[in-house]
Amino acid sequence: MSKSTKFRSIAGLALAGAVAISLAACAGGSESTDAGAVAGGELVTVGFVAVGPEGGWRTANEQNIQDSFSKDNGFELKYAPATNGDQNSQITAFTSFIDEGVDVILLSATEATGWESVLERAKEAEIPVVLLDRGIEPNDTELYTSRIAPDNVGISASAAEWANGQFPDGANYVVLEGPPGLSVVNDRNKGWDETIDANFTKLESQSANWSTEEAKSVFETILKANNNNVQLVFAQNDEMGLGVALAVEEAGLTPGTDVKIITIDGTKAALEALAAGRLSFVAEYNPLFGDTAIQIVKDALAGNSVESEIVVPSVTFDSPEAAAEALPTRKF
Amino acid sequence: MSRDSSRASSESIVTRVIHRPYVWAIVALLLLLVINLGKDPAYLGISVNAATGNLSGNVIDILRASAPIMMIAVGMTLVIATRGIDLSVGSVMAVSGAVSMEFMSTAGGGTVGEALSAAALALAISAALGAVNGVLVSVVGLQPFITTLITMLAGRGLAKVITAGQNTSASNESFRWIANGTVFGFPVVFVIAGIVVAIVAVLVRRTALGLMIESIGINPRAARMAGIRPVGILIAVYVVGGVLAGIAGIFSTASVMTVEVAKTGMAAEMDAILAVVIGGTSLAGGKFSLTGSVIGALLIATLDKTIVFLSIPSSATPAFKAAVIVIICLLQSQRIRALFARRRSGPSSLTPPPRSPAQPRKESVSA
Repeated sequence: MSKSTKFRSIAGLALAGAVAISLAACAGGSESTDAGAVAGGELVTVGFVAVGPEGGWRTANEQNIQDSFSKDNGFELKYAPATNGDQNSQITAFTSFIDEGVDVILLSATEATGWESVLERAKEAEIPVVLLDRGIEPNDTELYTSRIAPDNVGISASAAEWANGQFPDGANYVVLEGPPGLSVVNDRNKGWDETIDANFTKLESQSANWSTEEAKSVFETILKANNNNVQLVFAQNDEMGLGVALAVEEAGLTPGTDVKIITIDGTKAALEALAAGRLSFVAEYNPLFGDTAIQIVKDALAGNSVESEIVVPSVTFDSPEAAAEALPTRKF
Repeated sequence: MSRDSSRASSESIVTRVIHRPYVWAIVALLLLLVINLGKDPAYLGISVNAATGNLSGNVIDILRASAPIMMIAVGMTLVIATRGIDLSVGSVMAVSGAVSMEFMSTAGGGTVGEALSAAALALAISAALGAVNGVLVSVVGLQPFITTLITMLAGRGLAKVITAGQNTSASNESFRWIANGTVFGFPVVFVIAGIVVAIVAVLVRRTALGLMIESIGINPRAARMAGIRPVGILIAVYVVGGVLAGIAGIFSTASVMTVEVAKTGMAAEMDAILAVVIGGTSLAGGKFSLTGSVIGALLIATLDKTIVFLSIPSSATPAFKAAVIVIICLLQSQRIRALFARRRSGPSSLTPPPRSPAQPRKESVSA
């Protein structure tokens, strides 16, 4: 009996001690972070809910944002990439940024839908939200401050205009899309379909999931199904366009003369291929808009009114010379 | 066993093949080819490409596309036969591709030696990942599903670390030849895949290894009582699975000479499992059929190519693929077949199906 009470009291003491230590640790922790914030002075904390590794374009974009929102520019950026492109992990990161009370949240959503409730919470907490690149559905501009992105519809329309000029008498063409249902894919299809002339024949529109390997496999079959009678390919990203070029070469045709290939993104690999004549037209989807983002964030924090839609200017490359000229300074 | 084989020898080859579980996969394969022929009567034609001098044709494309699936399906068959599963094959493909591309782009010489070293390095790391799976399953006793799920997530992470998250390209003609070259007109990948399958088949069917694998899958305890040490065999099976996935990774990255860390080998484990199931190997372990898995891999490649050839819209692709596979699985199901047999032979034979579906099938299986 006495043994057990003794044990109990010891256990109680130990427990109390443990609680005290952990409390002290907690207090210490919060003190140190407070101190850090105070020492930082005017630093604006920015939570960046990001997509994470996806491809050359995304890496360049997120690196640019992280470089722009630097301590030297007066920001403290908290980078939260999604785990394997999962929207749930993004929502969790978004909510914890609200709870932490960051000053601004930047969001590149992996999925367009399902953001209403968390955006509502950010609004209640009076935290401005700036969407980077990816939009949300339904597009309720009340829920966020501004969206900064290149114009997908306009970019693919410029690609279609180039095609119209190249083939005044029309041509047989194939579209290689990203995964069905993405807003990027819908916008790129929309711009193309609205602009391409009526004398063009769309043989096929297939998804190759943004992948070089799949694009090569899909296009070798498309060539066989159409007896090589394809003059133009609209690949909705660089990687797929490069896969198409490989399939064309394998079939014994010459990319650029037998089959002209259009791609969107403008990564280094695509410009190199354009300079070598393997691609015919590359429309840039400019990932470098960190400076614009900083301006918008500053305006939003100062209470100035900001445009809800800001288009990032993008250029196009229509010749090997243009590509060769741009290559040395290409950042992505 | 002896009774089975004596009975089998008295039956004609045709009857024997008809009773194989993968007969429906062959029927489906032929049906797909017939459908393609309906769209283009020259579908099966093989011609010599004037520009490249290689054989070219849809069948050649199918053989080429089936090679990586065949590799992972054969590995998966052995793992599943031990009552395991290997979800990490797709990630191992990515790691293997990442290692070889990173090695060759750093070396940059484009020589045959570099291609060989890159392949050897990739296979060694794939084997190591397989060994991690094997040790965790056999020595530590973790569930194969959880173990390989961990390696699946960790493997893709590893591939991203190796390439710093970038899609990495390299140029090396010898390495490219593996996926794009031809030997006597046949695609090199398919020839290599055939040789590898033959080696595995000889190893498991001409030695006691296959029987030991099956006995572990049928009843691990009885197998141990009978003197079979499961640890070594399990590790060996997962290592073989890893190496085969590594070969598949080399095949698929060599085809475009680029590793796409987020996409190479994506969902490949699903194709492998499907090929195994279509080939008639039960997911409950035990008896397995390498021939069946090879046919399953050919069917999946044909299905993928048919979808594009028939211009089925991308949004309907997964549904089409699923429908074909469900139909094959239903046709293979013993219960469904018994139902049909009963209906055909009338009410006189209203007996329950002779074997419950959970029991391993009785067909004597040969590679």
